[in-house]
Amino acid sequence: MRRSRAAVVHGALVVVSAAMLVPFYWVLKTSLTGENIFQYPPALLPRAIHPFYYVDVWYGIPFVRYLTNSVIVSAIAVASNLVCNALAAYALTLRFRGQRAVILVLLSCMLIPFQATIIPAYLITKELHLLNSHLGLALPLCSTIVCIFVFKASFDAVPRSLIDAARIDGLPEWRIIRHVMLPLSTSAVATTVILSFVWSWNSFLWPLIVVRDPQRQTLPLGLSTFLSYMENTTGALYAFCIMVLVPGMMLFLLEQRRFIEGLTSGATKG
Amino acid sequence: MSAQRVSMRRRSTSLTLALLALGLLTGSVTAQEKRLSLLTWNIPVYKEKIDGWIADFNKVHPDVTVEWFDKKGPEWGPFYQTQVVAGTAPDIIDTQGAIWLEYAANGGLVDLTPYLERDRAVKEHYNPTFLRTWVYEGKTYMVPFYVSKTLLFYNKTMMREAGVTRPPQTFDELLEAARKMTKGEKSGFVTLNFDWLYWPLLAMNGVELLTPDLKKAAFNTPAAVKTVEALARATADGTINKVAWTGRWVEPNNAFAGGTVGFYQAHSPAFFYVRGGGPWINAETLGAAPMPGGFATPNSHGLGISKSSKHPELAWEFIKLATSDKWAYTFGKTLKVFTGTRVDSRLLEELQNEDPLAASVMKTQLEHLDRLVATWPLGKDAQVKEAFYSEFQAAVLGRKPAAVALAEAERKVNRLLAR
Amino acid sequence: MLSVQTWSPFRPSAFAGLVHYEELLFHDEVFWTSLWNTVVFMASSPIAIALALGLALLVDTRIRGRGIYRAIIFLSYPLMTVAVGVIWRWLYDEKVGLINYVLLSLGVTRRPIAFLDSYEWAMPSVVVAAVWQIVGFFMVILLAGLQNIPPNLQEAAALDGASAWQRFRSITLPLLRPAIFLCLVIGIINSFTSFDLIYVMTGGGPNHATEVLITYIYRSAFVLSKFDYAAALTVVLFVFLLALTWLANRATGGEAGAVDAAE
Repeated sequence: MRRSRAAVVHGALVVVSAAMLVPFYWVLKTSLTGENIFQYPPALLPRAIHPFYYVDVWYGIPFVRYLTNSVIVSAIAVASNLVCNALAAYALTLRFRGQRAVILVLLSCMLIPFQATIIPAYLITKELHLLNSHLGLALPLCSTIVCIFVFKASFDAVPRSLIDAARIDGLPEWRIIRHVMLPLSTSAVATTVILSFVWSWNSFLWPLIVVRDPQRQTLPLGLSTFLSYMENTTGALYAFCIMVLVPGMMLFLLEQRRFIEGLTSGATKG
Repeated sequence: MSAQRVSMRRRSTSLTLALLALGLLTGSVTAQEKRLSLLTWNIPVYKEKIDGWIADFNKVHPDVTVEWFDKKGPEWGPFYQTQVVAGTAPDIIDTQGAIWLEYAANGGLVDLTPYLERDRAVKEHYNPTFLRTWVYEGKTYMVPFYVSKTLLFYNKTMMREAGVTRPPQTFDELLEAARKMTKGEKSGFVTLNFDWLYWPLLAMNGVELLTPDLKKAAFNTPAAVKTVEALARATADGTINKVAWTGRWVEPNNAFAGGTVGFYQAHSPAFFYVRGGGPWINAETLGAAPMPGGFATPNSHGLGISKSSKHPELAWEFIKLATSDKWAYTFGKTLKVFTGTRVDSRLLEELQNEDPLAASVMKTQLEHLDRLVATWPLGKDAQVKEAFYSEFQAAVLGRKPAAVALAEAERKVNRLLAR
Repeated sequence: MLSVQTWSPFRPSAFAGLVHYEELLFHDEVFWTSLWNTVVFMASSPIAIALALGLALLVDTRIRGRGIYRAIIFLSYPLMTVAVGVIWRWLYDEKVGLINYVLLSLGVTRRPIAFLDSYEWAMPSVVVAAVWQIVGFFMVILLAGLQNIPPNLQEAAALDGASAWQRFRSITLPLLRPAIFLCLVIGIINSFTSFDLIYVMTGGGPNHATEVLITYIYRSAFVLSKFDYAAALTVVLFVFLLALTWLANRATGGEAGAVDAAE
């Protein structure tokens, strides 16, 4: 009985995984062979696998420098997202005049696409003299409204009595956030980390516009090198995409325990 | 747009960040010296040679620092336009297709006519036909950097299999031969469609987009309806691969490179893409010819100067250097393109020895220069194209009858031109 | 501000009154198409969430290799959209795409389907690709939610003789509400801001069949150089969103999960 159930679950998961992997498989295959994917009939198995496209990518752009820049920018973005959003969210759980209006405005702004505000964002960054800097690169991603609400939802779930007790103990507000709210909001933290990491890691249009200095380019900007149209460089393009993906996946795999499984302990504590 | 809104959006963070920023201010503001900046369009491969331009330029103007950026197609516009708004527009720009028109019409570019009049020798250095494609309201705004126009590529293997013996000479022959080659995954014809590149199909049927004074639409004619109907039929039965009307650059190229397309109307840069992706391609299997009637849409790159440039004279000097015999030749030689200058005939001659297949393609680029179409100098070119194309596309994809779509397009285009 | 002026990066601005708004509301069918498509796109998030919930329940069981399954399913989310777009474009290709190849080989269809190149199929096709991309992320959020549910609740209910379905309905689902709501919010945001995938796959075509507000704003500003018009579009979008949020807030009595302000 138990075993057959596990078999069913495995079966379902294998099917889904396969479906999820098909596009990914083709990315990987093309990166190793450089075949034209538009050939017919489709070649299911790769022929003549070679790692040259990865070598091309490594030497085609200053990979390590770009990678370092990307890591710095993402780290700034993730850290500031955690700090700013937790603070903002905590403020929103308190009651104050005009709170509804603030929430309403934030909610509506949340949905405004970045492409629509890119010119004012550029002007602001310029006024702050942050063009060409890591901070400037991370700036628009430093606080994403959605994460404020992620935190707020989680903070709202914390029993009032706990906060009141902390207050009576004489804890200052920031320590309440640090020692009461955050430990009880691990899933909000995880979501914020993943979201802000992926968004800043893959961010393309903004760095493209805000960075002029080649020393400050981030990884996604390397893309243009491999999309050049004079020669077909599909293989290198896909190799590049895989190489950009790897650090993100590493982070996920390493943190998976903490992100997902560690949450259980947080819950029992609560 | 709304600086307030953005600041509102980041209200929670801007204070913190402003404080942080004070601490982290980097030395990005340096003393103002003479600076020129150059923005090119998707030629990162050419870095070494551009460093060569700069070195040559600095021999004559050692006090000028030249900065170079390169952006690829989709990002070029947003990058440049943001820089223009911020007042930091690159001095010298390399634009593709008709984008320059919009800028010129809005007063964003320096009129190069006086410079060309002053330097007659330089003016004669450029191919007059190509130079003329950058004239708006009597003024020249750009000079050729590298030039290309559309042609017809054909897959000889597919033609042989279908019993098609020669590249088509008329529109009807084109569709008929394409139909013969269509079977299963194979389709007879694909075209690029951006920047009016599909227009030769209409031009060869005698369709004009506008009246000669450019004030009104002139395309809603029985001949145009017939042409569009024929294209729609061919698309419906699979003769024309739908990618022709929905793809942009990558998709049609990949389709042809995959060896499943008989005729491909594209401009010459497509050759190098296609050859890279299609192992089947050699002199036995690939042919190149002008489209029936010799009609072609140019899609060239020009160099121009932003109106906001503080040193237009220096920028002009730089452009002259970049398009001089030496550097034009080097450019054409390295990237296998023509430069719209005197050196092209020499480039073609040498290419014929080194790479006969590429030469057979490139030869078409210097022929039938009297048959360039879709070169109307319209300040609202992009909007007119969008208005026309969305209706045209609806018709060829079978969404609307041709007559209805063209009438609607006529209404839209006239509305645009009247404003 | 710009939305009531005529403006381009190259010229000083001039006041133009409400012409852009008039154009937008009364003469611009593309605006309405893109608004409708955005709503369709938005409506697809519940499907993605249901799917993700199923997956989350599956990988939440104590089976071997669940970590690998999770990683595989999550994989699609951080992959750069440029690659995703090109691959999906090919999967869907009418002539040489894998999906048509499989459908034809299995005899499901006689004629290949022009997924991205026809008006009827383009939008659903894009939605499927978008769901594919986001489902892994939703799964992770829901999984985190599931792990937050104290196991002793489930056990107690099981002892009381509640069936699996009853336990799911009366324990799992209510306790998962915040996570589901979060997914919903992200899904809605995505429908307004996810630009790359549509841009790479269809560019909003054919003939605006997959045009959403964000691609339309981008195109107006940077392709058609109508910055003033794009600004007007953005303002209308903003007003629309404000109204929508306000209504949603009212309708749920100010209690829509994250929105429950001080009542």
